[in-house]
Amino acid sequence: MRKVYIVGASLLKVDEQWNQSIDSLVTQVVDGLSEVRPWKIDAIYVANALGEILQSQANLGAIVAEDIGLAGVPALRVEAGGASGAAALLAGYQAILSGLADTVLVIGVEKLSDATPEESVFLSSLSERYDLLGFQGVTEAALAAMMYRLYLERYELPQEMVAQFPVLMHEHASKAPHAQYQFKTTLENVLSSPVVSPPLRRLETTAPADGAAAVILCSSDALPTIQHEQVVELAGAASSTDIVSPFDREDPLKLSAAARAFYEALARPGLSREQIKVLEIHDSYSILANLILESIGYSAEGASGLDAKNGMFDYGGKVVINTFGGLKARGHPLGATGVYQAAEIFLQLTGRAGACQVDGAKYGAMISLAGLGSSAYALVMKEG
Amino acid sequence: MGAIGDELPRLSGVAVHGYGAYIPMFRVKASEIARVWGVPDSELPVLEKSVNSLDEDTVTIAAEAASYAIARAGIEPDRIGAVYVGSESHPYAVKPTGTIVADVLGINSRHLSADLEFACKAGTEAVELVSGLVASGMIEYGLAIGADTAQGRPRDALEYTAAAGGVALLIGKSGDGAIADLEYAASYVTDTPDFWRRSHERYPMHGSRFTGAPAYFHHIISAAKMVLEDGYSLDEFDYVVFHQPNTKFPYAAAKMLGIPAKKVEPGVVCNLIGNTYAASSMMGLAKVLDQSKPGERILMVSYGSGAGSDAFVFRVREGILDKRGKAPLVSELIERKRHIDYALYLKARGKIRE
Amino acid sequence: MHAVFRPPVNWRHRRFRYRLVVWRCLNCGAVHHYATSICRRCRSNRVAEDKLPDRARLITYTVVKNPPVAFEKQAPYIVGLVEFEDGTRLVAGITDCDPEELKPGIELEKVVRKIAEDGESGLIVYGYKFRPVITRSH
Repeated sequence: MRKVYIVGASLLKVDEQWNQSIDSLVTQVVDGLSEVRPWKIDAIYVANALGEILQSQANLGAIVAEDIGLAGVPALRVEAGGASGAAALLAGYQAILSGLADTVLVIGVEKLSDATPEESVFLSSLSERYDLLGFQGVTEAALAAMMYRLYLERYELPQEMVAQFPVLMHEHASKAPHAQYQFKTTLENVLSSPVVSPPLRRLETTAPADGAAAVILCSSDALPTIQHEQVVELAGAASSTDIVSPFDREDPLKLSAAARAFYEALARPGLSREQIKVLEIHDSYSILANLILESIGYSAEGASGLDAKNGMFDYGGKVVINTFGGLKARGHPLGATGVYQAAEIFLQLTGRAGACQVDGAKYGAMISLAGLGSSAYALVMKEG
Repeated sequence: MGAIGDELPRLSGVAVHGYGAYIPMFRVKASEIARVWGVPDSELPVLEKSVNSLDEDTVTIAAEAASYAIARAGIEPDRIGAVYVGSESHPYAVKPTGTIVADVLGINSRHLSADLEFACKAGTEAVELVSGLVASGMIEYGLAIGADTAQGRPRDALEYTAAAGGVALLIGKSGDGAIADLEYAASYVTDTPDFWRRSHERYPMHGSRFTGAPAYFHHIISAAKMVLEDGYSLDEFDYVVFHQPNTKFPYAAAKMLGIPAKKVEPGVVCNLIGNTYAASSMMGLAKVLDQSKPGERILMVSYGSGAGSDAFVFRVREGILDKRGKAPLVSELIERKRHIDYALYLKARGKIRE
Repeated sequence: MHAVFRPPVNWRHRRFRYRLVVWRCLNCGAVHHYATSICRRCRSNRVAEDKLPDRARLITYTVVKNPPVAFEKQAPYIVGLVEFEDGTRLVAGITDCDPEELKPGIELEKVVRKIAEDGESGLIVYGYKFRPVITRSH
């Protein structure tokens, strides 16, 4: 049976890259893939969420193909909000499994620093229904805050059961050279940072960032013909959708799309949750870490905070989450984020994660969301 | 307006079927404004005034007042054939307020709509126009709305009183269920430049003491005298409502006419909410309707700068008893309040310039 | 950045924004704020116009302290999740109160307020908000 491999991954430091454009970010990140030879690409998928608004640039397929000297190669831009990167990876995976492509370049690129703070809030809310919410100034952070409040009330928990996740993320990012925020923080700092929308605090959210990440996928047929230093199998990939507003779902605290995507991705290679030792999750708001971990079954409902407190998601625990700091601390360059997650798992499974290395990890998985779980993507990777 | 024959300008067959008032909940004390400008607070024109919040304007105030008028009348909005909104603070210079209000209220498209402007009497102009349309049989019911979010230039005397509020009257033919018959309507206007706002200007100009004797008092008293000349006597009125730009003026006008203060007092709201401009005299009327009994007569005289007065006589009907309780009373709206300081007042009124 | 409030878009939605006119599935009861011929929940094509009531109960709320474009001058402002008698939920601005006055379960009533304006010269957008009940029940 045809299989899909990742033969190279590259990522740039997530930062406010004032001097870099989409074009220059893309060329830099692709330069980091030079170990892969020959440079023969059948298709390019460019993940980007906001280029046409912030840089007045659409048609990023052709633009990026030309930037990297691959004009002539089929290229397509993929947008799925914060899950654009994962969606592009899924598209690449499908292209290879279909037999129509043997090598696919997936690039995630986003430049958010060009926005004013108010534009950033506006843009970060675009994945929710604008005609219902955005038009009246309801931000995505406000929706996350209401989920957060419902969560604390339902399970009668203190806020630290949610707010400790950013502390863990900053701890992990402190050893990650490509992370946006490499400082460590404390629960006290998180809980005394400015309120964004109560109970949500600034240190429980992400900030505008620029970044680019890229991976090369290839088929099992093409693998012998490609020079590469490391390889990881992209063993499963799946996605699902949900009712867009969390409050229209049967249970606003259950991320069903994430659960469906995750289990379908695991089922393809026949893996179980327990085999996953590295897990990248979409913690654009602290509360999403709790909800994802509970929705996909790592923790009982309302128990993820306690599990985290007991070390279940840290080094030495059952599964290490967000080994480079996750969206919270590595940073969340929106459309590029999913590709960062994949590149980070690639680093972990090839033993190149440096100080962030999870020892003995054979399997890794990622979950990426658009909005507050209305779209979910999951990818599962296996040591090559 | 000259009476043509004995019957006019007496009206017959026109009645108020619903009335509704709305007052935004913010208040700023006149003493707070005086504090900012270093003015002694011994002789301020009102105690406090209403201030619309950032999400309120003439459209929203008019719509809420009108929704209460419809609730009291208990009729389907589709029977309303005219929506006239009088204001000096229409949100758009060009684009009617009335069409937005009508859509908010669910009134179907087959109706007359116009925005009126005549300083503080724009609302009572609407009452005259709608009454005429009902009397002529052109429409079954019509909404006459006076609403404003008035602006006074910082430190100007008007800053203490320029307030926000709205009142709507739902007018139809006399008959069962009417709240009050409208017995009489007449107007007295002259070219008197006591107050104006030029195009594109943010704040109005006014003639200071010129706004008194030749302006407010001359027109109010002339219009009231027309009512008496046309056959009413002062004894017939249980309540008298005059436009109330400040607390003193309506009492002073009453005194000049020999009307006892106790007939004026029930309709005076200015001290607690300021001058709601196009809604000012109608707010007094609404407050009187809140407490009047069937059979009682109300004289209302508005005043609009520039200048003119509309005089009306209402005769309260049985319908008031059932309908009064179907929407908030003016006193309840006055009591629903939150005081803000001058800084929040500037924010609420969009006076902070970048 | 591009215009936030486009007149045709706002105009198209005015009946929902002013009067909570919705499209309700006659099969499962789900409501839609847009004209539709397929129910988003059960895929029935029996959908008819309806109107949500003017009263609802508060489920939860928060405050927007970091506002988006066009809402800068209103911050901080409250948004809440409300539920109508039929179970339909709506996220809406909550006005005329301080957050401290809000408790889950309190009754709110619909008003129409100015939502935002597109600068000094652009469109003024009006729409539903909810506030603690001041009107009498009749």
